[in-house]
Amino acid sequence: MNIVQLKKLSYDEVAKCNKCGFCLPSCPTYLVKKAESYSARGRNAITRFAIENKLELNEDTERAIFTCLGCGACTAVCLSSVQTKDLIFQNRECQVDAGFYPKVAKRLVKILEESHNISDEDQEDRAEWQELIKELPEDAFEKETADVVFFVGCVASFFPMVQKIPANMAKIMQSAGVDFTILGGEEWCCGFPLIGAGMPEKLAAMKDHNLKKVAKVGAKTIVFTCPSCYHTWHHFYKSDAKLMHASQLILELIKDKKIEFNKNIKGVATYHDPCDLGRNTGVYEEPREIIKAIPGLEFVELPMNRKFSVCCGGGGNVEMTDPDLSAQVAQTKLASIKAVGADTVLTACQQCVRTMETRAKRSKTDLVVKDLTQLVIEAME
Amino acid sequence: MDKQKLIASLNEIVGPDNVLSSEMDLMLYSYDASLDKAKPDVVVLPDSTEEVSKIMALAYKEKIPILGRGSGTNLTGGTVPIKGGIVVHFSRMNRILEIDYANRTATVQPGVITLDLQTEVLKKGFVYQPDPASQKVSTIGGNVSENSGGPHCLKYGVTSNHVQGLEVVLNDGTVINTGGKARDNAGYDITALVVGSEGTVGLVTKAILKLERAPESVKTLLAIFDAIEDGANTVSAIVAEGIIPATLEMMDNTVMRAVEETIKVGYPLDAACVLIIELDGMPEGMDDNASKIVEICRQNHVRDVRLAKDEAERNVLWAGRKGAFGSVGQVRPSYLCCDGTVPRTKLPEVLNQVIEIGKKYNLPIGNVFHAGDGNLHPLIMFDERDEDERSRVLKASTEILKACADAGGTISGEHGVGMEKLKETAFIFNECDLEFERQIKRAFDPDDIINPGKMIPANS
Repeated sequence: MNIVQLKKLSYDEVAKCNKCGFCLPSCPTYLVKKAESYSARGRNAITRFAIENKLELNEDTERAIFTCLGCGACTAVCLSSVQTKDLIFQNRECQVDAGFYPKVAKRLVKILEESHNISDEDQEDRAEWQELIKELPEDAFEKETADVVFFVGCVASFFPMVQKIPANMAKIMQSAGVDFTILGGEEWCCGFPLIGAGMPEKLAAMKDHNLKKVAKVGAKTIVFTCPSCYHTWHHFYKSDAKLMHASQLILELIKDKKIEFNKNIKGVATYHDPCDLGRNTGVYEEPREIIKAIPGLEFVELPMNRKFSVCCGGGGNVEMTDPDLSAQVAQTKLASIKAVGADTVLTACQQCVRTMETRAKRSKTDLVVKDLTQLVIEAME
Repeated sequence: MDKQKLIASLNEIVGPDNVLSSEMDLMLYSYDASLDKAKPDVVVLPDSTEEVSKIMALAYKEKIPILGRGSGTNLTGGTVPIKGGIVVHFSRMNRILEIDYANRTATVQPGVITLDLQTEVLKKGFVYQPDPASQKVSTIGGNVSENSGGPHCLKYGVTSNHVQGLEVVLNDGTVINTGGKARDNAGYDITALVVGSEGTVGLVTKAILKLERAPESVKTLLAIFDAIEDGANTVSAIVAEGIIPATLEMMDNTVMRAVEETIKVGYPLDAACVLIIELDGMPEGMDDNASKIVEICRQNHVRDVRLAKDEAERNVLWAGRKGAFGSVGQVRPSYLCCDGTVPRTKLPEVLNQVIEIGKKYNLPIGNVFHAGDGNLHPLIMFDERDEDERSRVLKASTEILKACADAGGTISGEHGVGMEKLKETAFIFNECDLEFERQIKRAFDPDDIINPGKMIPANS
């Protein structure tokens, strides 16, 4: 995208920013870096100055625009409802065409085109997580047809730290008698990282492939443990199937008494709303209802919850482009969790689990990080 | 001084990570929440008074303009570096240094966000009263410099009534302390002079603020009127009755509609205006005062008076009021707020003039303001990108401020003069008044390097 196209697409929206600054304290990167270029207002000003030819895109604007977490917290507090996340991603497209974008993004595109997953792994290993399930016949979850497709996502497929998430989700569905399948090696990256990388046009091939594979299975429902895959399907795919996040399906199973909780879970837990699940797709209550259905568990809310939830630091590809910043944001998140007296933080996203758990280990913070699927399995056993 | 040398010197003081000088960074410190823009030469993020002192001494030695900045929420260009130079961004100096509940003071650095302090002291049942609508982002340094007000300042006074002492870095880097934890102090009241000086006499690096007990009980009423005049008359009638509520805020139809776009408050969208009337203090006698207020509202043809049932309802009423400025972005992308003050009894008359001025220049104007203080905030809505509209806005703003001054009022209630209202100072000051202000400025800053070009018009 060039500046003329950016003007056409973004100028009216970015002009709605009247620079009141209300977004500053909601922007996780501003709170860490404390400089205007790391704030939503500052990033919008960059877009506007660029459109008005008052500022050239260069390495500095690349740094500012590519360190946005895409969390959307700024818009939640914006009285003019400026869609900053969208503006940032549009600006990223412009940065890409101007040649100012992180090298890692270029590599990412190549990997996605060649390997169809973000880890540059063999697609055949996508279902490796099944090895975590004891006594399971090979390919047990790979059927020709099924009611439900479980779209696992790249991170949960390839990062050992979070492979237990799909394993647990599969166990839950199996136990509840859900007729589901995974796409295994035929599942491709949903393309979400490309939006964050400023190359949304490259998403088409992935979308077409995934839609075709789901159609072949004949599934009426697609379930996701990854909020970003779920968000991407919601906003960028056109699928006739019903899209559900794992938390929504699990809650249905609880309500239909298809799963039951037999074990008391001790401790004080809070819940971190993943940006792409909560604020960006609107799923807030189902995870809370599940938590409240767990016997014994004490639940406390974070002061900034639901649409005001603070990003864990794992959003917007920032973990790739500026790992230190991502870690600093995560550290702030951990501090806010400890401040409410929780010993466990629950969430519903493998990326949030990875970001928070890694940070907790490195900073020796005494905190248990769990995906909801794990909590559910523990209470079922 | 050569720019590279200046940057090198600043690097030595605060470290290179805290000196910003790229073209992008300079552009990003060229604005605040007003319409003005001007680029600095360099931005610096100090972490201590000692660093600020060194930066100031450098600026003094090299005769470089310098100004302090918090969150940049100013509405009159107070933090726009019109003469270039150094912008000192206080975002890292954001520590609450001490809360002394026994003496009821809080000592804070200038970068502390107002609401962060308020949230902290409320845990122990205390309040820091000044509550500018921007409190969730504005900083204490900015509030002190602009002498910020807010809805509750009707009863409790503006920022100057809540500052007991300051640490100020003077033009040559000297650090002075004014006032203190004791309530009475000998000598000139330098604290009073610095508060509201719009950052033109020195850089505030510490403030000792007054804390008060949180009121035992609060009652919040929403009075709905079908005519602006009735609302305005109610305001003066309440005060004439001898009741000083904690707040008496007015919001007109245009603003209510904009607010409802983002915050679902439930304002009556067919009404001409509402008053948010809040009573606070001891529960005894509060019901009587509330009844009296309702009676006065009735005498002035109120359509309905609603009482906020609980804290949640109260919060949402206030969220609407405090979000009003930003919300007008739902109507038009830009706004200019004319912060004029008039004697309360003149409110109906001046509000009518505001409406006429809006018609004359064909501009939508919303009203949301501290009615109890007679402090108007007509919000002229437009699109900054439209040059013609922009020039009409500036003319309309001048006329509105003239109307306020002519009614026996003034041109700034709380947002300051900044660079936006320099020529309008002529409506309220004569040349002798202005020259005396210039003398004061020279006493602090003979080289005119501290936030130059603000608050006082240059000698004609």
